[in-house]
Amino acid sequence: MTKRILSTIAFLVGAASAAPAQTATQTITFQVDAINQIAFSGSPSLVINTATAGSNPTGATAAATWAVTTNQTGAKITASIGSNMPAGLTLSVDLTAPPGATSAGFQALSTTSVDLVTSMTKLAQGALTVSYSLAATPAAGVVSSTTRTVTYTITGGT
Amino acid sequence: MAVSGNPGALHITTAVPGSQPTSVSNNTTTYTVTTPNANKTYRITAQINANMPTGVTLTATFAAPAGATSIGPVALDVTARNVVTGVPKSTNSTQNITYQLSATAAAGVIASSTRLVTLTVITP
Repeated sequence: MTKRILSTIAFLVGAASAAPAQTATQTITFQVDAINQIAFSGSPSLVINTATAGSNPTGATAAATWAVTTNQTGAKITASIGSNMPAGLTLSVDLTAPPGATSAGFQALSTTSVDLVTSMTKLAQGALTVSYSLAATPAAGVVSSTTRTVTYTITGGT
Repeated sequence: MAVSGNPGALHITTAVPGSQPTSVSNNTTTYTVTTPNANKTYRITAQINANMPTGVTLTATFAAPAGATSIGPVALDVTARNVVTGVPKSTNSTQNITYQLSATAAAGVIASSTRLVTLTVITP
């Protein structure tokens, strides 16, 4: 009788500890590369068609927008045009800097790259303003409609 | 509890300008859950062996066996978190696992790293 009681107790204890936790494992490998992406929208047109008497022709301005994502430190944006402007004409551009970065303000464009925004660090920002300015001297004369393609380049930092 | 293997590397390489880096996902692996015949329901938890780097999130979605409920996307960390609940007794089912990796620009560049995901079947 005593033996039977002990066996019953052992069975109940076993039931209480049944179904131990089951586990499985997976190894996840992940990586984030250096990312430096910019985009510009709009194809602005600039026309100079008047002047204040006694002054150079009145400059023209136009606006567009740009966006940037970088996950590096100290990235910068430069710009250049495919061929230089006619003598007496100056095309300049100013990029509004994203938070924490520095804009160089209006910079005249040529075939030599010029820094526009520096010190961009780990940010994603859209709807930033691009401002274009066209200036002419009387010596430039009449210039028929022509185009320049501005090439913007983002250079990653560290 | 068993899994079909390890998923391929989750590798973030690009972004839409003005937006955070583009997340990536992998749904190539499965899990198989087997529950006893005891008159209980079960749940599945998941955790990783170390937290993700700041600004980087590893999310897992576990499809649910019949009669159970998937919690949906769960951000994984060192705390065991429910991913599937209400798994009936006597279940023997293989279901899909989807991992997603997302990162903010502030996270910076992350060299190839690993995390061990532990899945556990337990009673509520």
